[in-house]
Amino acid sequence: MVEAVVGGTTVTTRQADPATRRAALNRAVIYSVLIIGAAAAILPFLYTVSVSLMNLTEATGGRALPATPQWSNYTEAWRDAQFSLYFMNSVKITLISVGGAVVFCALAAYAFAQMEFPGKGFLFTLMLSTLMLPEAITWVPNFITVSWLGRISPVPWLNNWPSLTIPFMASAFGIFLLRQFFQQIPRELWDSAQIDGSGHLRYLITVVLPLSSAAVMTLVLFGFVGAWNALAWPILVTTTPDWRPISYGLLSFLDEAGALLHLQMAGAIITMLPIVILYFFTQRHFIEGIATTGLKG
Amino acid sequence: MLQFQQSSGFCKRPRACGCRIEGSLLENRAEGAFVDAKPSLHYNTSEKSGVGRVALKIWESGLQVESTASQTAAVRSDIRQQMRAAPNWFRGRQGRRIREMLLAYSFLAPAYIIIGLFGLFPLAFAAYESTLRGLNKIVGTYDGLGNYVKAIDNLIYILAFWLAAGLVYFAVHTIARAVQDQREHQTESMRWLVPGLLTAIGTALFTRFVYILLPEMLLIPSKLRGRANTQEAFRGLVVETWWLPKMQIALWVAVVILAGGGIWALLVNRQMPTDRRERIYFMPFFSAGISLIGGAALAWLTWTEINSAYAEALEEGVGLELWSQIVTISAGFLLLLVAWRLWESARDRSSNTGMAMRLLGAVVLMVGAWVLIAELPRVVSAGDEDWWNGLMATVFYVLGTVPIQLGLALILAALLFQKIRGQTFFRVLYFLPYVAPFVGTAAVFRIIFSNRPTAPLNSMLDWFGAEPLLWLSEPAGIIQMITGGKFDLGPILSGPSLALVAIMLYGIWTYVGFDTVIFLAGLGAIPSELYEVADIDGAGGWAQFRHVTLPLLSPTIYFLSLYAVIGTFKAFNHIFVLRQAAALGTTDTASIVIFQAFKRDTRYGYASALAILLLIIIMVITLINNRIASRRVFYG
Repeated sequence: MVEAVVGGTTVTTRQADPATRRAALNRAVIYSVLIIGAAAAILPFLYTVSVSLMNLTEATGGRALPATPQWSNYTEAWRDAQFSLYFMNSVKITLISVGGAVVFCALAAYAFAQMEFPGKGFLFTLMLSTLMLPEAITWVPNFITVSWLGRISPVPWLNNWPSLTIPFMASAFGIFLLRQFFQQIPRELWDSAQIDGSGHLRYLITVVLPLSSAAVMTLVLFGFVGAWNALAWPILVTTTPDWRPISYGLLSFLDEAGALLHLQMAGAIITMLPIVILYFFTQRHFIEGIATTGLKG
Repeated sequence: MLQFQQSSGFCKRPRACGCRIEGSLLENRAEGAFVDAKPSLHYNTSEKSGVGRVALKIWESGLQVESTASQTAAVRSDIRQQMRAAPNWFRGRQGRRIREMLLAYSFLAPAYIIIGLFGLFPLAFAAYESTLRGLNKIVGTYDGLGNYVKAIDNLIYILAFWLAAGLVYFAVHTIARAVQDQREHQTESMRWLVPGLLTAIGTALFTRFVYILLPEMLLIPSKLRGRANTQEAFRGLVVETWWLPKMQIALWVAVVILAGGGIWALLVNRQMPTDRRERIYFMPFFSAGISLIGGAALAWLTWTEINSAYAEALEEGVGLELWSQIVTISAGFLLLLVAWRLWESARDRSSNTGMAMRLLGAVVLMVGAWVLIAELPRVVSAGDEDWWNGLMATVFYVLGTVPIQLGLALILAALLFQKIRGQTFFRVLYFLPYVAPFVGTAAVFRIIFSNRPTAPLNSMLDWFGAEPLLWLSEPAGIIQMITGGKFDLGPILSGPSLALVAIMLYGIWTYVGFDTVIFLAGLGAIPSELYEVADIDGAGGWAQFRHVTLPLLSPTIYFLSLYAVIGTFKAFNHIFVLRQAAALGTTDTASIVIFQAFKRDTRYGYASALAILLLIIIMVITLINNRIASRRVFYG
């Protein structure tokens, strides 16, 4: 790429004008720095793919590429690590928590963006202040709360979906993100909706949400990534694999597989693949969402 | 956190409002909403004083949110006038407002129940739990500051003392400011005193109710021991506990006072003259009240704890130097503060001798402070070694990653921002490490940084003819390793262990892309006219970068560095995956230490105490950062 571009510029400016030559040199330097950066970002992934296709001796022998790709590593890792269980767990956890998050965050964000009520500023600041709390401070109290709630609710909470999903159904991040989008909706729309006899809830569902589908999409994406990344909390609230999410599954597989590097890497690829594919298809939402709030779910 | 930061720290001048969410970069879209922020709604921030200022800004941000998000004040006053003019219609209008209010609260209810239960309540719960000898789920006996003493020894008394003093100072400062405002600008600020304080008292009483309810509820499982341990029995006991007279009295007293404060505030708000758009002073008084009560409670707790520590020491016949330690170390920090002030003021001096004298004085004071603070290491060494090592590892991690990460990201962003073909392509690739699940990428780095001689990095070393290294399993400090282990450098000077350095490299690898994206968005917000003007003035590429880009990007840099520092204190996932037993705990940062105290040792009370300390550290960093930012950050 560097050569091509640099070549292109030098060809067009054959007369050796020092200024243009310096510009061409500049571009060459810029591109080489950018490409080195991109290589650093991507090489570990390529290495993972390569190792995941090796056999054991190749993987531990420090080879760069497998002689023949061992696709069976993936099926083996999938089976050994019980990925079908963990995968389904993660998908279920994601669906429940993201579904709840969209509903609850949209309601709260709408109230903050389009409604008038006393104590609005106070409640908003209070909500944002929870972002400052380190996760570590919630571990002990939430664990006790969750096990206590399990004693009085019809379904147990520990080792079950409520403890893994309900605490994540509303987040300051989600409310903040949606509020930013809801606020841009012109008030005239609400006025005309009111003339048409629509109430707040109907207006939210039929007008506001469709208009901010990009924001909802971003929220769903972050919820998905958050659920896929969750580690500390699932370690605390699950003692059996029944509801363990995929990152915990991978972690225990890493310890089990020990020296079987190729299987470890196949497991890592299996874990990363859904998010990476999702990212490539929706990268604009991802990057815009992060640029909007400066936060990840 | 971020928006919180930005809106609190960034709104220095009303005109600069567009910068408020610079890091978040939505201002292009949100600008419309911010345009109608009336200058009069901004608190007068022209004078700089004390710690209180930062926190004041935090409320301000709340008030601003209210004013900006809502209808403009003009519309509101218009409505008010109409209401006065037509009493019949007014009733319908009023009814609709109340209905809208109730609907809004019901919209907020589900989210606030969850956030309240799992986001806010844990703070109170952790504070309570940290005073117990809690081991496992069994509620331990009350232990006062015992857990904190275990963690950081006598330093906790100093910390608690100064925290209490800071809270009281903040409250007094706020009230004094409101009084001053009333005198100078003829505002009606004092009207808000009673409702604000009443609500604060109500909140405090409610907290007291929570602290009465909590132990009873936690005791239920042990009450059930020996009885039929069924869900029905449990539920029955919960209901029984809830209806205990002392619970109900505590609850209703709190609720009545809270409601009284709230209604009073609403009444005051309605009586406000419509022609004068005036700041609502409710929040300052409310926060002042809360911090007064909190400060008093903390001071009382510290006082009783110190006394009981002395009594215990007397019984055991050992001497205790608690007070002398508190006095010396506090005096040391005070001296340091004065020295810093002097140093700052030296800059404004025009005469050289005046400046030299001040600088000299500052240095002398600093030396004095150092002598006094020299007591500190002795106190530190008496605390929990794991915890101090964890904090040290965290500090190493911050120092080793944040500058490098931001520098690399700034370079990449500045280069990408040139008119480059394939900008999106590069951005997508850079961002990939940040998006990919942490456990997956950490698993990869576990193999890259493996101690096998054939692991990628070791084979590279081999190719250069170097000896293989242990990487993630190497507990020795890197400076120790570079100097060949000839000298015993002690824990701090020998630097972070090689294992921690490997984790730091992973951290840099993950976060550079994230920082680059934020920087790119920040660069996009710089008006291009500025570059055109700079071009006309003959500024070259570097000069443009130095004098246009960097100053205008400083809010983003500030935001990212704060985010990275706080993120490090919170970091858990990747460190937990990358840590190896062979590294002997040199890679355990603060969060990991807390997690181990909780999960491995099941010391619930102690883990809570450590988490509270972590929160205090994060808050102090945020406050200091805000102060620095308010001086150094340039808002277009």
